[in-house]
Amino acid sequence: MPLNDLVAPNAILPALKVNSKKQAIQELAARAAKLTGQSERGIFETLLQREKLGSTGIGHGIAIPHGKLVRLDKLFGLFARLDRPVDFEALDGQPVDLVFVLLAPESAGADHLKALARIARLLRDPDIARKLRESRDAEALYAVLTLPPTQAA
Amino acid sequence: MASLDAVSITILLGAVLVLAGILSSLIALRFGAPLLLLFLIIGMAAGESGPGGIRFDDVHLAYTVGSIALALILFDGGLRTRLQAFRSVLAPAGLLATLGVLVTAALTAPLAKFGLGVGWTEGLLVGAMVGSTDAAAVFFLIHAGGLRLRPRVAAVLEVESATNDPFAVFLAIVVVEILLIGDRPWSATAAMLAEQGVLGAVVGILGGRAMVLVLNRLGLPQGLHGPFVATAALVIFGVAAAVHGSGFLAAYLAGLIVGNRRTRAHGTVVVFLDAVTWLAQIVMFVLLGLLVEPVRLASSAGPALLIAAGLTVVARPAAVFLCLAPFRFSRREKLFVSWVGLRGAVGIFLASIPLLVGMKAAQLYFDVVFVVVLVSLLVQGWTLAPAARRLGVAFARPDPVAHRVELDLPGQMAQELVGYLIEADSPYLRRGITPFWAKPILVVRDEHVLTAAEAGPVRPGDYVYLLAPPEKAAALDRFFVDMPPPSSPDPRLLGDFFVSADATLGALAEIYGLALDPALAATSLADHFARELGLPPRRGDVLRLGDVLLIAHKVVAGRLTQVGLQLAEPDTTAKQPATPAGRIKSALRRGVAFVIGRS
Repeated sequence: MPLNDLVAPNAILPALKVNSKKQAIQELAARAAKLTGQSERGIFETLLQREKLGSTGIGHGIAIPHGKLVRLDKLFGLFARLDRPVDFEALDGQPVDLVFVLLAPESAGADHLKALARIARLLRDPDIARKLRESRDAEALYAVLTLPPTQAA
Repeated sequence: MASLDAVSITILLGAVLVLAGILSSLIALRFGAPLLLLFLIIGMAAGESGPGGIRFDDVHLAYTVGSIALALILFDGGLRTRLQAFRSVLAPAGLLATLGVLVTAALTAPLAKFGLGVGWTEGLLVGAMVGSTDAAAVFFLIHAGGLRLRPRVAAVLEVESATNDPFAVFLAIVVVEILLIGDRPWSATAAMLAEQGVLGAVVGILGGRAMVLVLNRLGLPQGLHGPFVATAALVIFGVAAAVHGSGFLAAYLAGLIVGNRRTRAHGTVVVFLDAVTWLAQIVMFVLLGLLVEPVRLASSAGPALLIAAGLTVVARPAAVFLCLAPFRFSRREKLFVSWVGLRGAVGIFLASIPLLVGMKAAQLYFDVVFVVVLVSLLVQGWTLAPAARRLGVAFARPDPVAHRVELDLPGQMAQELVGYLIEADSPYLRRGITPFWAKPILVVRDEHVLTAAEAGPVRPGDYVYLLAPPEKAAALDRFFVDMPPPSSPDPRLLGDFFVSADATLGALAEIYGLALDPALAATSLADHFARELGLPPRRGDVLRLGDVLLIAHKVVAGRLTQVGLQLAEPDTTAKQPATPAGRIKSALRRGVAFVIGRS
């Protein structure tokens, strides 16, 4: 399940330098704001609101912060590999270094849910996670995220 | 001598048939086949055109036996309906059992009219005969299939199937009377309906109360409680019918009252009636099977199949969706309830009434209804478990059963002695917990009876007897079932994301764009699970919220703390090589999924 439709080549951050979960979300919100033209504060608060229900750190060093934005016109994905893993209050307690942000328009409904499930299931694949950690630059990361499944496996 | 021989032979044949019925339950349990179907087949096989070659066309006897059996079955149905536990579904189930039957019958009527070429009233008669669902079939298939349905769905189905028979019987008998007496003004018909209903209800309620009084005030000898209740139920049936009330309604209501009041010897009464009901069903079905001539069935199979199909895919779903519309049920739940519209004993019994009163085309009705019931038991009966799984209304974990012994304590009714065999993997042994309302009294170990204090810690193979309130006995079972600790969770039931169980449904619905009843917005996930399950939550329990599956992930001290969210169906085809066959299979699967409502 490649993620071509969810992430653009310019929405990949190969070595984001942050020291905490909050800072990571702040930086990602800033970058997402630039790429979507939405308010940075709005994105930050949307993501935090979801984190309040329970961390989106799904284990094995992966986190998928997400939320809905009223004025967005389509699903927007942003991937970052953190330069140094940070504590994300994840389920398994492991520090997180792979972060995928997904923002959905108010109207996305079932597409939002399906996209989130796809991202979670793709990143959970140990092969994919390993390849992402081995990739050196944005292009290589993008290639892994958008590889067709037969080559990725 | 010859007549004595004839009697002996009748006894022999009858007993052999019943025995065959009893033994066939083993087959049914093994293959999940609807038991009633086997009884019918045994009856048919023993009959005139089967290998048995027994000539039987005594409709009068079949009707009498059928009435007795049905009165007992309905009484037993009432006895088992726990009003307290089912209070939350009384409204939807009650509506299904009355309006639902009426709608089903009314929508089936045109099919019968055009399929059989009879009048509207006759069509309605056929509709009424197949209008009710069969309690025995529904209970048996749900329990024997090892299905653990969502509690609310299971409760609606059980209460509906137990309560809709009196209404269907009632409707059918009224239609028969209209047909016999000829056209009467609607007011007279309505008055007759009301008279039957009211008198039946009054006799049933008074009779039930009287029964409770006798059970508790008079010291019946040990062992006679069960027979007393069973015969009293028949007396109530007879009295109600004698005063032109509905005897079946009276029997059901009496059972409801006896089952929901505190009575002496409740355990033995229930066990006795269980046995009586089984026997009644076997006898009734075998007799009804004997009445049928399989050869003749073939001639009416065409219209019968049409009616069965219309009933299953149009009339029943329409009735269910209409009756459940005011209540919170998901589309999948409604589809499942529609699918579990198993027809059974009552239909065939009702179909013997036209035969009994010598109505024109009576044989046709009987054959048609017989085929409809047969088709329903076969098709719906056999596909019930897969349908439940497909529609996501069953839990992944089947309900294990603990074997409980209940002993009545003379002199009071608040407590009874409940005994269990200690299994190696029971939570009682593993975690050493007992609910505060149950007190261990005795331990039987290696055939020695010890007090709880003498015995010390229990071991596997011990029998433990606890003092507990009778109404809590079922709750106690949970502590004694042999149930290995959950190993790895079902991989298909893994959450994509996790949230704290303190999160409210409203917050989740907001973030994920889910449809939610506003009244539930402030409810926390932990409370939602507790309310919907009615049991302590366990890892792997599943509830549905809109398109999202909520999966109990972490439970601490009996309270849910973390919930997994499965946002979309697992994509099982993702990693399969895309062979042409695989593609066709997945396309088929999607097609089926689309048809039965899985997106």
